[in-house]
Amino acid sequence: MISDVLRQLKKDFLVEFRSRAAVNTALAFAGIITLSISLAAGGTPFSTLVQAVFLWIILFFSAMNGLLHIFTREEEEQTSLFLSLNVPAEAVYLAKLVFNIAFFLVIEMVTCPLFIFFLQVTVKDIILFVMTVLSGGLALASAVTMLAAMTARAGGKGSLFTVISFPVVLPVIWVSIGATVESLQGSSGDAWNSVVFLLAFSGAVTAISFLLFRYVWYDE
Amino acid sequence: MKTGRLVYLFMPAAILMAFLYAPPAAGLGEASRIVYFHVPLAWGSVLAFAVSGILSIRYLFGSNGSEAMLDMKAHHSAGIGLTFTVLAIISGSIWAKMSWGSYWNWDPRETSIVILLLIYISYFALYGVMSDNGNRGRISSVYLILVMVVVPFFIFVVPRVYPSLHPDPIINAEKKMNMDMKMRMTLLVSAVSFTLLYVYFMGMRNRLMGIEKKIDEKIENRREI
Amino acid sequence: MPVIIEGTNIAKKFNRKTLFRDISFSLSAGQSLAITGRNGSGKSTLLRIVAGITSPSSGSMTYALNGAALERYNFFSHIGFISPVMNVYEELTGLENLRFVGGKKDDDAHLAILDRFELRGHENKAVRLYSSGMKQRLKLACCFLNDPPVLLLDEPGMNLDRKGRDIIYSYLDSVRENRIIIIATNENEEAALCRGRIDFDQ
Repeated sequence: MISDVLRQLKKDFLVEFRSRAAVNTALAFAGIITLSISLAAGGTPFSTLVQAVFLWIILFFSAMNGLLHIFTREEEEQTSLFLSLNVPAEAVYLAKLVFNIAFFLVIEMVTCPLFIFFLQVTVKDIILFVMTVLSGGLALASAVTMLAAMTARAGGKGSLFTVISFPVVLPVIWVSIGATVESLQGSSGDAWNSVVFLLAFSGAVTAISFLLFRYVWYDE
Repeated sequence: MKTGRLVYLFMPAAILMAFLYAPPAAGLGEASRIVYFHVPLAWGSVLAFAVSGILSIRYLFGSNGSEAMLDMKAHHSAGIGLTFTVLAIISGSIWAKMSWGSYWNWDPRETSIVILLLIYISYFALYGVMSDNGNRGRISSVYLILVMVVVPFFIFVVPRVYPSLHPDPIINAEKKMNMDMKMRMTLLVSAVSFTLLYVYFMGMRNRLMGIEKKIDEKIENRREI
Repeated sequence: MPVIIEGTNIAKKFNRKTLFRDISFSLSAGQSLAITGRNGSGKSTLLRIVAGITSPSSGSMTYALNGAALERYNFFSHIGFISPVMNVYEELTGLENLRFVGGKKDDDAHLAILDRFELRGHENKAVRLYSSGMKQRLKLACCFLNDPPVLLLDEPGMNLDRKGRDIIYSYLDSVRENRIIIIATNENEEAALCRGRIDFDQ
């Protein structure tokens, strides 16, 4: 199983990086919306709450833009049958999940510095901020990977993906915003509970997705 | 199915009780009668969601899920649930306007029902895209189950979110309505009525599905002769 | 590794139209079956049902390996499948695709099969640079690489010139004794490779 996952991961990374278009577009998207928001605001200072809300809206839409591709590419290029015959479903899921988590971390690494710089954000509790972004990102990516597979198999596009992801991802966004506000203000308190919440959420959705993936991946 | 027909008995009783039997509440007066419709509708919407979820689990993991077309029954339940949700939101806003003067307040209960609405809408969006896809039953069932797993996280989060995001706490007076025996009775009867209404509609939709299936089979058999 | 495939009263419906019904067969090593018929008659669909990729609307497929029943998705590792709607990864090279299919094997086996299908010299080129005939030969190479006991081929000769077809036919002839071979095709020449036949035109 592990070797299957690794084989699949290696293949995915190779394919995605050789045709870098999708990866580049996703990163460009994240950068552009961060810039758009700060330009539109015209340098108005925002409260920490508003800053946190913007950050997670940016991250949500970047996820919607970038995390679907790993599945829709298989459908568009008609390689999904080749894949499902050669690699067991659970290994496909794990490999795609790892890819999406890694990819989203890269998106976050691009977005957060831009966010801090252009929206003139001061982070009082850096460790909490980083942990929130990491755990929130993990929760987001874990939750939507299965939904991306479903969207791809349903033949839908990005808009369907956004519609079905939003209810599932809403608790993550709320909790992440709350914890981010605390990290910006430097008042931790029970913000660490939020991090635990996000990790628990990641675990729960990953577990259920792992169990149910084959019903989505294989044909009736 | 036959139980559904009890709605013909209970619903008129509930309506009569709501308007004649239950006394007007202190404060709101006659307008308080809306509670006998709003609360059962909200309850019905949650019931419908739970039933859809359970049917989805049985569809995927049960022994004869596809035969019994449980994925379509889950869809029927969701349709009824969506209707109840919309009506609950409308009746809830009217009640809110009367109680507090504004139609919408984002308190935890209102927020929860909107989330339920969102879930239903997403489910129908997903279902609708797959009208000619043989995997529709499986994919939509997986979605419902995934959402069910997320619901406990919502229950944990919602009460905490709005106090933290909205510094002005809004006192939720909804459940603080002091209800005497008559009001409780009426509410109970109404809740039973709406549950029966749900059962009745489910029964109709499922029977209709069964009839359509039989017609299809007869057409098939005719063609082969 | 004796594999037995059995189909019992297989039928397939799409919406309300029946594509085919009452298809039954039983195959073991050394046997072969051709599925023929005009376009749209359901050849590819039946092949997919046999492979376990799709399920029939009614009836059932059973698979047995050494006497023990084999579950549908576990059957995949015992088949070599090729189809016009299934592509290999075009961003990878021929060799990388084979490595993906082959799993742990070292490159000797991969290079050997590239040789057999006359793709030697192109193995380090990205597949998107291949001609359509080369792509088809690579798909075939991936299909046959792990030497599966069951071969399910949907239009194997598509995009191939005379030479390419001869390569497949000679390969099939060399392995047919121990394999189950099912070919879905429009071409009489390919159908003639098989002893049994299901014809959707009747």
